[in-house]
Amino acid sequence: MGVFRRLLHVHLAGDRLRCEHVPIDDAITRALIGGVGLGAHLLWRYAPRGVDPLAPAAPLIFALAPLLGTPLTTTAKLAVICKSPLTGRISDGLSSSRFALAAKRLGVDAIVLTGALDHLSIVHLDEDPTRARVEPCPALAGASPAEVGEALAGRRVAAIGPAGERLVRFATLTNDGRHAGRGGAGALLGAKRVKAITVHGDATPPLADPAAVRERAKELARRSLGAATDKYRRLGTVANLETFDRLRILPARNFQRVSIGRAKARRLSPEGLRAEAGHVREGCAGCTIGCDHRFGGTRLEYESLFALGPLCGIDEPAQVLAAAAACDRLGVDTISAGGTLAFAMECAERGLVPWPIAFGDDLVPWLEKIAAREGIGDLLAEGSRRVAARVGQGSERFACQVKGLELPGYEPRTMQTMALGLAVAARGADHNRSGAYQADLQPGVDRFAAALATTPARVIETEDHAALLDALILCKFLRGAIADPWVEGAELLAMTAGIALSPDELREAAARIVALRHLYNRREGWTIAEDTLPARFFDEPLEDGAALSRELLAAMVAAYHEARGLGVERLPARERLDALFAPLDLGPWAEGLE
Amino acid sequence: MVEVELYGLPRLYAGAERCAVAAGSLAEVLGALAQALPGLVPAIVDARGHLSEHARVAIDGRRLLDDPAEAIADGAVLVVISAQAGG
Ligand code: SF4
Repeated sequence: MGVFRRLLHVHLAGDRLRCEHVPIDDAITRALIGGVGLGAHLLWRYAPRGVDPLAPAAPLIFALAPLLGTPLTTTAKLAVICKSPLTGRISDGLSSSRFALAAKRLGVDAIVLTGALDHLSIVHLDEDPTRARVEPCPALAGASPAEVGEALAGRRVAAIGPAGERLVRFATLTNDGRHAGRGGAGALLGAKRVKAITVHGDATPPLADPAAVRERAKELARRSLGAATDKYRRLGTVANLETFDRLRILPARNFQRVSIGRAKARRLSPEGLRAEAGHVREGCAGCTIGCDHRFGGTRLEYESLFALGPLCGIDEPAQVLAAAAACDRLGVDTISAGGTLAFAMECAERGLVPWPIAFGDDLVPWLEKIAAREGIGDLLAEGSRRVAARVGQGSERFACQVKGLELPGYEPRTMQTMALGLAVAARGADHNRSGAYQADLQPGVDRFAAALATTPARVIETEDHAALLDALILCKFLRGAIADPWVEGAELLAMTAGIALSPDELREAAARIVALRHLYNRREGWTIAEDTLPARFFDEPLEDGAALSRELLAAMVAAYHEARGLGVERLPARERLDALFAPLDLGPWAEGLE
Repeated sequence: MVEVELYGLPRLYAGAERCAVAAGSLAEVLGALAQALPGLVPAIVDARGHLSEHARVAIDGRRLLDDPAEAIADGAVLVVISAQAGG
């Protein structure tokens, strides 16, 4: 089977660890598949209710997936799940790497880390739990994830940078130069005094139908090289910036503008970046697409480009690339770093704070201050919501975050399906657990005017689609090459894990994953008031008059939660929970919530 | 005339940033575009002027079009982009 039906629970204490295998019931896999679904379940189960995300008792979970370790393209990914120190809500990040492949060879479907060590150390995990050990690593204090990788050459490593050690609330966890970026999983590892984790093993997950998997792998590889992925291969996601500028979707100067003008956008296009810095293309482990475009040696995606560029008033390619490289080196999330700095810049511009920061400034010194928690950097390391609470004076209205997570690069006033997607997303303002932007760019959808009758259903559809891909796990950049994800997803699950679900049952599983994320948040204190956007988007129309209606968004949020079967009250009715989670025996729901 | 602007993959395939073509229905405009910039066929438009599933076209950068019979007036600006928007 593509699953091992057990997890590895690693208890950390003092300078030691203890490993324990815990069975995973098949019902969990049938109900929640794997990846983010399994991770949400494990968070519910292992995180004490109300736990401080940086307390030793808070778990950090690596959830693997049924397709991981197979020859199927784009599947070398894992999910990292925790209670976010930035939001206090669920956080689930995905990351591709050889670390993910090696983690599966431990012979488990998940790793749950709890407790904390006394000194900064490396945790070495092994297929044989008796060989797992802790190795203090004082010499690696302050090292970048890449430096840790060099020090541990030959091993499969996930590591944090200096920002994680200093508990920056948007610190990342890095493997193979890829980040589980959003929500601050790196700070959890830092709080546990774990600089890095290595994994070693030889376990091979037996496949239900190896011949079918081999055939499908060839066929999927062929499809992965078709027109649906050509943009990712030839240009990369950075191509979005110039297009979004033209469509008035590109957030600039902390969401005060939606365009930087044609000439500046052109300099930040793939062609402009290539001319400025040179270019090579790479890819994640086991991927036939290879969307990883590096300019001047630095990997750049649209989200990093927008957040470290126009959002902060920067349009010089060299400045953006230097900032992106610094984020990699320090181990911080580019979106939250850019969003928090852009907010600070606007606060300074408005005279609300005396800080020497302005739109267009070189970001590298500020990123270093954040990672070191030095001076104002100590406050900025808390993220824009907490900075706004400290600055006060009405600044909350332009702290562009939801649930504490800074907004990705889509302007909600001119992408109103996305506006709802951002407001309701369980992990906060999020473009990866929902593809609502895709709905806004469909013919027949008026992206400037959401509608109560249709928009919530569109958001739910895109969230469920994303949940399926993130549970199996398949890269979202492959989605255009898959005609019917529910049919193909069911086939892939059957041939790998031997779990037979109909496409409809798979849809139910995807919806259940999203509902479970919401339910976790409700257990941790969520109320419907947090499913909204900053006041800027309601009260400050764009030049052409585009604005979002506060009342309409609130009505759509309520309709969304009703349609999800959870209702709008924090505590869902027991019958609702039983209906949604019937296939699971996850214990007494009501006791967990009351 | 209708001004057509090209972004992302459409621009790469076309080898051009913009092109002016005669007004007409959307299919006629895109058919003329395909003739003028044959690199767009078949990934972006087919020879009859039908848009592929991998591209989108917006009028004045706002409303996305999909009705081949829709009339595109003289002076309109069409923006042709890749369908994949994720990042
Ligand atoms: S398409 Fe890109 S992000 Fe997805 S697996 Fe391949 S290289 Fe990684």
